[in-house]
Amino acid sequence: MELFWMTMTTGIMVGGIYALVALGWVLIYKCSGVLNLAMGEMTLIGAYVTLSFYSMGVPFLLALLFSLIIGFLLGILTERIFLDRLIGEPVLTVIMVTVGLSFFFKGCVELIWGTDTRVFDPPVFSIEPLHIGPLVIGKVYLWSFLAAIVLLVIFVAFFKYTRWGLAMQATADDEMAALSLGVSARFVYATAWAIAFMAAGVGGTLLGNINGLNISVSYLGLLVLPVVVLGGLNSVPGAIVGGIIIGLLQNFCGAYLDKYFPGGVKEIAPFAFMAVFLLFKPYGLWGWERIERV
Amino acid sequence: MSATWLPCGTYHESYAQDHAWWQTTFIKGKMILLFITVFIVIPAVADDYWLSVCNQIGYTILGALGVQLLIGYCGQITLGHAAFIAVGAYTSTLLILEFPWPQFMLNMGLAYPISILIAAVVAGIWSVLFGLPSAKVKGFYLILTTMAAQFITVDFILTQYVSQIGGRGQAFSLPPGTIKIGPWSIENDIQVYFMMLVLVVLCVAAMANLMRTRVGRAWVAIRDNDISAEVMGINVVLYKLLAFFVAGFIGGIAGAFWISNLAAISTEHFTWFLSLWLVGVILIGGVGSLHGAIFGSIFMVMVMEILQLAIMPLADTFPKLLMDFLFIKEAAFGLAICAFMIFEPNGLAYRWWQIKNYFNLWPFSY
Repeated sequence: MELFWMTMTTGIMVGGIYALVALGWVLIYKCSGVLNLAMGEMTLIGAYVTLSFYSMGVPFLLALLFSLIIGFLLGILTERIFLDRLIGEPVLTVIMVTVGLSFFFKGCVELIWGTDTRVFDPPVFSIEPLHIGPLVIGKVYLWSFLAAIVLLVIFVAFFKYTRWGLAMQATADDEMAALSLGVSARFVYATAWAIAFMAAGVGGTLLGNINGLNISVSYLGLLVLPVVVLGGLNSVPGAIVGGIIIGLLQNFCGAYLDKYFPGGVKEIAPFAFMAVFLLFKPYGLWGWERIERV
Repeated sequence: MSATWLPCGTYHESYAQDHAWWQTTFIKGKMILLFITVFIVIPAVADDYWLSVCNQIGYTILGALGVQLLIGYCGQITLGHAAFIAVGAYTSTLLILEFPWPQFMLNMGLAYPISILIAAVVAGIWSVLFGLPSAKVKGFYLILTTMAAQFITVDFILTQYVSQIGGRGQAFSLPPGTIKIGPWSIENDIQVYFMMLVLVVLCVAAMANLMRTRVGRAWVAIRDNDISAEVMGINVVLYKLLAFFVAGFIGGIAGAFWISNLAAISTEHFTWFLSLWLVGVILIGGVGSLHGAIFGSIFMVMVMEILQLAIMPLADTFPKLLMDFLFIKEAAFGLAICAFMIFEPNGLAYRWWQIKNYFNLWPFSY
């Protein structure tokens, strides 16, 4: 029973991080219709930038802030240089550009920071676990979860209440109408990429705090895909709920199924789940159903 | 891309002429010259290094053909083709190593050819299994299921279970002499090269002819608009699954061929990178054309080799470069895809088509 509760809390906490990265993905898709496969490398860049600042002696929060700023700039640059020219191109073209971007980013990250695992030194969060009743929670997990939730709230509030956020919502809803009302679609696309870059960077930093930082953190970018499929590609609440469900699923599979299928059940379970889920409910829990006509 | 224009003054007097592959004397001469080059000149002049580069190109062509069929002709985007190549490679390896072949078959060198065929069929069936969702979903969702195929097949089933068969640990190695076709045992680069040539010519010819039959035209109809295709009486699900089968079949051949060149077969050779690489190859070569698969393969492999040759001399002064070459390669591949998608979305085959038409119609190109 203890294992059950432990797995549950870990799952929810890690799920919070997935939700944050998935939110960035959904924002890009919702606003500009780009299906982004470079999310994992975006998490890597953000995480490594934070790590570099942190190991230079900058306090963690400040390092995170710098990484957010750099993520913002990189997001706008990426959109301007690569994605801006592809508006209206077929799905495969846009997807393959993001795949190309992912290779490019990955190559650059490996060139600059190498492939060895690096840790935040000194550790940002103390190793001493927290006891809440019968539960034992690592402080890293708790803080990561809290940080992820706070950022989620900030991003959702930004999306719902600010002028820019409303412009993004309008573009996502009906691009033509938004354009005729004076919303700059190019500005919206750039903002969406900037936010996604920032969210991915924070997600990567948090995950890097838990397990140490190396190239395999970019696996997070692939994990985002089951999350958004589960929640529906263009649903913000779907991304959050989906993130937590996938976090739970992954940890429960790791805890309970590993005995029966030794090896990487934990890594594969979300994808197997996704493949089966797609057969029955391809538009996810809250996604918009596309009706196709000739 | 429509057919190439014929030069002025070429008239067809029978349907046989109209359907001929090589319609003018010039094209016949060109193709014969091409065959002489690849079958006689290249093996005569190339050293082992360039032969191995050629083998790499051939392997990429074989792999890209299946991807081209799925993406370029049937419109089913796949990002998991390496899984089917891996299934082919592992099936063939396991058959050779573990199957109790009768002695006379070993003596006649039948084990490897038979294993190639079986591997192709197994890979085809495996591919159909993961093509099943295509009956219901398409576009991005299909991409996700093919990605799932990659991770489930290679990272889970092959790595965790199949690799344990026979207790060899992570990699299978084929003892010399086991890969034998008839009286010839395939051991060095030049033998692999000839085997590659035969397979590539066979597969390309088969694909090209398949595209002119009802099946091929049905695939193209599905690619262009699957609802219209269904209205016209094409069994969409059946033809989609058939496309997956044929793509997997060719992938299986590619995998089974490549074990002749690999010293040890492990899942590292069939990562997700290979899947993406193959898609990148056909995008750069040109989607929806067999030329595209070939040009793309030649271009990408050559660019990477030239990049390597350019970097090697610098490695003496900057030893770090040698280590970083893999990363540079990755970044260059990514940039190449982005650049081609943005500036040359029709790929190399389109340019080739333009050049051909320019000379065929010269001097009056209107």
